[in-house]
Amino acid sequence: MSQFIQQVILGLLLGGVYVAVALGFSLVWGILNIVNLAHGALVIVGAYITWFLFTHWHIDPFLSLPVDALALLVIGYALQRGVINRVIRAPLLFTFLLTFGVNLVIVSLLLLIFTPDFRSVTPSYSGSGLQLGSVTIPYIRLGGLAVALLLAGILWTILNRTRTGAAILAVGADRDAAQLVGIDLRHVYALTFGIGAAFAGVAGGIISTFQSITPTAGDPYTLQAFAVVILGGLGRVSATVAGGLAFGLIEILGQSAPGLGSGFANAIAFVVLVLVLVVRPRGLLGRLA
Amino acid sequence: MIAREQRLPRWLRRSVVAIAALALAFMILAPLTSIDTAQQAGLPLLTDKLWFRIATTVAMFVVLASAWNIIGGLTGYASFGNVAFFGLGAYTVGVLVSNRGWPFALALLAAPVTAALFALIVGIPLLRLRGHYFAVATLGVGVAVGEVVNNVGPLGASTGLFLPIVRSDLVFFYLMLGAALLAILTTWIILRTRFGYGLLAIRESEEAAAVIGVNTTFYKVAAFCIAAALTGLAGGIFAQWNSFINQENVFAVSDNVQMILMAVVGGAGTVLGPVAGAIALTLIIQTLAGGGSAAVYSQIGLGVLLAVCVIFIPRGVIDFFGGQSRLSLRYLRQTLRETSA
Repeated sequence: MSQFIQQVILGLLLGGVYVAVALGFSLVWGILNIVNLAHGALVIVGAYITWFLFTHWHIDPFLSLPVDALALLVIGYALQRGVINRVIRAPLLFTFLLTFGVNLVIVSLLLLIFTPDFRSVTPSYSGSGLQLGSVTIPYIRLGGLAVALLLAGILWTILNRTRTGAAILAVGADRDAAQLVGIDLRHVYALTFGIGAAFAGVAGGIISTFQSITPTAGDPYTLQAFAVVILGGLGRVSATVAGGLAFGLIEILGQSAPGLGSGFANAIAFVVLVLVLVVRPRGLLGRLA
Repeated sequence: MIAREQRLPRWLRRSVVAIAALALAFMILAPLTSIDTAQQAGLPLLTDKLWFRIATTVAMFVVLASAWNIIGGLTGYASFGNVAFFGLGAYTVGVLVSNRGWPFALALLAAPVTAALFALIVGIPLLRLRGHYFAVATLGVGVAVGEVVNNVGPLGASTGLFLPIVRSDLVFFYLMLGAALLAILTTWIILRTRFGYGLLAIRESEEAAAVIGVNTTFYKVAAFCIAAALTGLAGGIFAQWNSFINQENVFAVSDNVQMILMAVVGGAGTVLGPVAGAIALTLIIQTLAGGGSAAVYSQIGLGVLLAVCVIFIPRGVIDFFGGQSRLSLRYLRQTLRETSA
């Protein structure tokens, strides 16, 4: 029983990471209608910034998260304004291919700058955890989950309580109508992508605290973000949170099922994903089909 | 999909002549590129085995890009799971040859059948999805099938499967070339039948197609199965040619992206676009593929090339041939304006 509780807790903690990764991805997909295949690469850029600050200036990984966000906001804004805005009205396949190209370039640049070596961020508290009876909760993962939920709150506040958020939602609802009421489309597109990238960067910072990072470590996260958004549904912050936590639980519990193992992590996740798509294409809480 | 179907009769005649000439040139020149044959005949050596490998790879990607074009280009369903068909074809041959002792020729016939059956099973539920959702779901299928294969003992698990080595560059080159011609011919025939018009109608508007009496489910699933059979065939040939298969070399998602890229860069929805794209891009990728930091630069180059193609020539390079458009600054500006924010 306590093993089951431990599994559930680990699943939720892993789910927190998925929430953080998927928030930006979901925002960009929902508003810009772009499935950003470079999302994982942006996550890893954030992870490298945290690693760099930790290794060279001994800055605590959690303190470097705002730096990640700011740096990625700038990178994301420039990327959308300069490159991706050029194909925003093209069929979806083209944005797919373009972001795949961007992914390739970012990963290659990271390889040139940081080499393919494994890098890890190991603050002094990385090995310790909260002991509740026979259940252990690693502090670092708990911190990650807290940051993820904080991010979700920030995104919700931006979208629902600020003028910028209103503009972003308006663009997502109807581009032409948004333009008619005086919204600068190019700026809002770029800003939306920038915010998405900033969230990815923070997620990367969290990831660097519990996983060794390499330039190619981001690709699985793009797929996971996909799965989370499908599972939760598109168009709501709460849906992404629910989807992320559910996905983490499914992954951890699925692996402990008899006959399966950690080798089946992706297969389990994607079987669930395909079932959700076929049975309930809106996801658990989604608004859009 | 922006790409248009070509209608010009002159263009048609030209393309047929071009295919025939290319195929003929390949068949005549191919033996010269084999060291053994060239030495026996006392002919000057054109190139070496490496070139042979590249030529076979080119033919393989012609099959993959053309097959993807049938479901992605003609029907408008961007499949990211075609690599699953390639892998299943490869593993069908792998298991039958190395575990059951079947002769390769017989096992190769089973490869497209397995792939098409799988496409039928997953296609019926998945082809109800559209756009991003179809893309993601097929991607999921590709990853999941690869992972299951990677964990099942009789399939070699993570070690992979070894097949008895057959040393004959020529045989595999001709097999792959034959598969490529078959893929091109299939596309050509489809585009000239009621079935093909049905697929194009689905691509333009599925509701409208249904209204005018196209059985959309049947058409989509059939197109998916045909694409799967061709892809599976290429996978089957690859298995014996490479004599070693595992999850990484036959279920690589990047291969799937490459086939899409080739079809789109060449011109999705046309007969020869994917062929042109496959030949050009495979040659570029194979030439650039080096070790060390050269490989990294080639990746950057590929990424930039991809971005430039998608931004400036979204209809594919095929658009410049046959008098439809001319490559000019005005053309580039116009395509840019069509899709920019």
